[in-house]
Amino acid sequence: MVDAAAPQPFPTSAASGPLAVRFRRFLEVARQVLRNPTTLIGLIIIVTLIGMALLAPVIMTPNVPDPYQMPRDWGALNAPPGTVGHPFGTTATGGDVLYGVVWGSRTSLRMSIIVVGITMVVGTAIGSIAGFVGGKVDEVIMRIVDVFLAIPELIFALAIAAVLGPSFGNIIFALSVVFWVKFARIIRGQIIHVKHNEYVDSARVIGDSKFNIYRKDVLPNSVTPVVVQATLDMGNIVLVGATLSFIGLAEAGLAEWGVLVSEGQAGISSGRWWASTIPGAMVFLWALAFNLFGDGLRDVLDPRTEGR
Amino acid sequence: MTAPATVPPDGKTSALVASVQDLKVHFETKAGRVHAVDGVSFDIVDGEILGLVGETGCGKSVTARSFLRLIPTPPGIYAGGRIQFWDKEARQVGGAPIDLLQAPTSEMLDIRGNRIAMIFQDPGKALNPALPIREQVAEVFYQHRTEELLEGWNGKPPLAIRRAAGERARLLERVAFKVPPLRSHARRLRRRVDELVGDALAETQIPNPRKIMASYPHELSGGMKQRVMIAQALSCNPDLLIADEPTTALDVTIQARILELIRDLQHRHQTSVLYISHDLSLVRRICDRIAVMYAGRIAEIGETHEVFHEPLHPYTRGLLAAVPSFAHTRGELAAIEGTVPELIDPPDACRFHTRCAFATDLCSRVDPVLDARPGMRPVACHAYSSAQALGVATDEIPRLDRRAS
Amino acid sequence: MQIREYVIRRLLVLPIILVGTSIIVFTLGRVGGSPIAIYLEHEMTPAEVAEIEERFGLNKSLPEQYVAWVGGALRGDLGYSGVSAAPVMDVLPRRLAATLELAIAAAIVAVTMGIGLGTFAGARRDRLPDHLTRIFAISGAATPIFWFAIVLLIIFWVYLGWFPVGRSDAAIFASIGHPTGLYTVDALLAGSWTAFKDAVWHMALPALTLGYGSTAIITRMMRSSLAEELNEDYVDAARAKGLPERLVLRRHARRNALIPTVTVIGLGFGFLLQGTVVVEIIFIWPGLGRWMADAVLRGDRATIMAYVLFTSILFLLVNLVVDILYAYLDRRVVLGS
Repeated sequence: MVDAAAPQPFPTSAASGPLAVRFRRFLEVARQVLRNPTTLIGLIIIVTLIGMALLAPVIMTPNVPDPYQMPRDWGALNAPPGTVGHPFGTTATGGDVLYGVVWGSRTSLRMSIIVVGITMVVGTAIGSIAGFVGGKVDEVIMRIVDVFLAIPELIFALAIAAVLGPSFGNIIFALSVVFWVKFARIIRGQIIHVKHNEYVDSARVIGDSKFNIYRKDVLPNSVTPVVVQATLDMGNIVLVGATLSFIGLAEAGLAEWGVLVSEGQAGISSGRWWASTIPGAMVFLWALAFNLFGDGLRDVLDPRTEGR
Repeated sequence: MTAPATVPPDGKTSALVASVQDLKVHFETKAGRVHAVDGVSFDIVDGEILGLVGETGCGKSVTARSFLRLIPTPPGIYAGGRIQFWDKEARQVGGAPIDLLQAPTSEMLDIRGNRIAMIFQDPGKALNPALPIREQVAEVFYQHRTEELLEGWNGKPPLAIRRAAGERARLLERVAFKVPPLRSHARRLRRRVDELVGDALAETQIPNPRKIMASYPHELSGGMKQRVMIAQALSCNPDLLIADEPTTALDVTIQARILELIRDLQHRHQTSVLYISHDLSLVRRICDRIAVMYAGRIAEIGETHEVFHEPLHPYTRGLLAAVPSFAHTRGELAAIEGTVPELIDPPDACRFHTRCAFATDLCSRVDPVLDARPGMRPVACHAYSSAQALGVATDEIPRLDRRAS
Repeated sequence: MQIREYVIRRLLVLPIILVGTSIIVFTLGRVGGSPIAIYLEHEMTPAEVAEIEERFGLNKSLPEQYVAWVGGALRGDLGYSGVSAAPVMDVLPRRLAATLELAIAAAIVAVTMGIGLGTFAGARRDRLPDHLTRIFAISGAATPIFWFAIVLLIIFWVYLGWFPVGRSDAAIFASIGHPTGLYTVDALLAGSWTAFKDAVWHMALPALTLGYGSTAIITRMMRSSLAEELNEDYVDAARAKGLPERLVLRRHARRNALIPTVTVIGLGFGFLLQGTVVVEIIFIWPGLGRWMADAVLRGDRATIMAYVLFTSILFLLVNLVVDILYAYLDRRVVLGS
């Protein structure tokens, strides 16, 4: 029984041609994607942010002993932007906002890459089992997926991180638990689609093993929706993650945007806007960039869902 | 195949309802500027059924929609020419025509559905799926026959009702219609509307109009839906009815009946009809005159029986040759070799020359003009021109009895 | 009847999902050790600890505890809220009323603005207003609510001083009775214009913040579906009847464009639900979200469990209703073409 709400896989030809063909197709897709101005902007911002994250130790001297903890300048509390040595100002406890911005991007990169990595693997594995084994196992797995989808993302992640205790690691765990389901559905959908496809029937007649079908037909065709989903998730994971740390589920003093906003919150009634607004804007930029790029990718690769 | 000016109908002395002169409608696309309609001219005589025939993509639909200025701009561009229209008044007193391409929007709103009406190819798509039939047909009455709706009130109907009859009632007024003082008036208006709608539907021989009125489009058959469309179109007694392939989406058995209906009503209302189709056999049955269209131009025009018995243009000949027997089969147009040319920035040549068995070098250099020659119907082909008039050697003129090598 | 099958299938699956959700919620409640921590005070004797364990059934086996918990939940007993020092079911309705009021206001904002903007942009496809609207719509879903809230606060509260923070002015609030728990409604019932104005003014900023994400997705959906409808034949047919463009848009195109927009309601509701946590923290709104936030920081398992269960059931039901509604609406449209 096909899950009515599962995303339908789109018909692409099996990418079984020689490498050159695939490379050319990739270039063609890349060209089309970059033609859209908003997608291009998204990509530029992504590259900038990731660049900043990777080069963080070079841009801002890492704090000792833990670079992911905010350094404190007790001599410059609540300094406004433009102060010498603190271009973006400081927080109420002397934390340099620029440091938080730069190293926060690194934190966000860690968060999103780890979670996307875990969820892709786990989701693909579970989705594959559901798709290939089928029958009762598939039913059970799909019900579990339904249950996971019944709980709103943020609330679910919030509850998990809350009961485990405030820490960056727990946030990552919580996000992974919440975000794997979409990949599972994509992969399962692809498998079911391929199962029904004629040319696979002929492969089965020839006696191709299930694994080979998987490798040659399912995986290549799944690449596109998985890539689109992963891109969008990179943005949304940081969005949800920053919200969790804003609420207070990360370690105090962590160089993370959500934590910074939470700290800076107290100062707004006194007009100290920079400690909360600037890191928050970073979260916005990050989520926006990945959403723009992911949308652009989806428009090119799967135009049927355009506009959704 | 261009036309320089109005091509007068041969022999007839009745007044014209419409005159298309050198109409050009283009579309800006990513690939370039498509010359969908590129110099089309023909007249529509009062009381006649003129057929506009051609294969898909030749521009006949675009021509038809231009009458009501329905082409979206962008990406469409009204690139030239004019469409002159004489309504009943103008024809009676010999007044000046309106140029439909230049008329102000307010005038177009008055003309659409009222003086010029249109019925569409797929009645399933042309009716709003979310509204019952009654509401959709009623719209025409609210728009154009407001005074009739307000007839017969004791004294003057209240202001809100008068506004409602013209579809200008404000939100609060519409709420007030549910409450006693205005409620009886509102009900009366509605009854009047229903009367008129019922009459219109009955005229197209729809059985049980009351039931049909309350139905939704998806509950009706194709033939029934087309009758509704026709009823809607003719309800204001238009001077000109444009029928854009009205039977294409219908069963063959229903087609005949709808055709009969159209002819009947046309006769009764004395409406002129512009009948668009790609089906030659159909067109032959009801049209008085035919204009054959190809790649955005008119190839030839004339009385139906003349065109069928003595086709002048090579394209027309090809079309007719491709039909084994008119009486039985729907005309299929695929038997001519080659395909319709790309209409993006077309070169200066006869549009048909690549598919023409008789084309000469001249045909690939010069565009033939839709000309009426003495004793002959208008046709756009060099074969009918004289070498001197064109200034070329005699052997350059194509001859239709001799295939070019 | 395809529709009936679809509805039955969804309804049959519902109890399974509810059970599954309750299992997850229960697991959350027992992860990381016994939830007893919040009920403990310093220096309790082992006997007192044992007594608390006994009282809350924390000394039984896990499956037994699960059954006990579910049984209690069905009877209306969801445990004791540590942060509120009262039974959960006592606190829930009060908090719910506050959140409900905010959510309804945000929903009204989202629907009216979303449909309005979407129609505006869809009718002007690919021209400047459309591009601007699309940028707004995409950024809406990517905007972190906590940041947006703070920015609005800084502009409208700190610098302009137009709006106050919190739910109400304590004195005015106390001056009227609260039969429904919805401040605005209560004020109207009491006939107090001062109270009503107070309620609305306090609600303005949080409602706008909360509704922002939903507005964006509704705008986006409305825009694309209206643009699609405008390509349909019946729109041209309506124009061919001589209808002025405003009627064509309003009565024909928009009405049909609204149908696919219904699908976004479920998603939008999810946005609202999740947004309340953050919005209530920042705007100091005494609703469910803030209650959950407090519980999260203090490890109050009972409250967390109750909150997750409640919001999940709500989310599930809303999505179910929306899906069925759309299936019903879509059938009529699909059969028509």
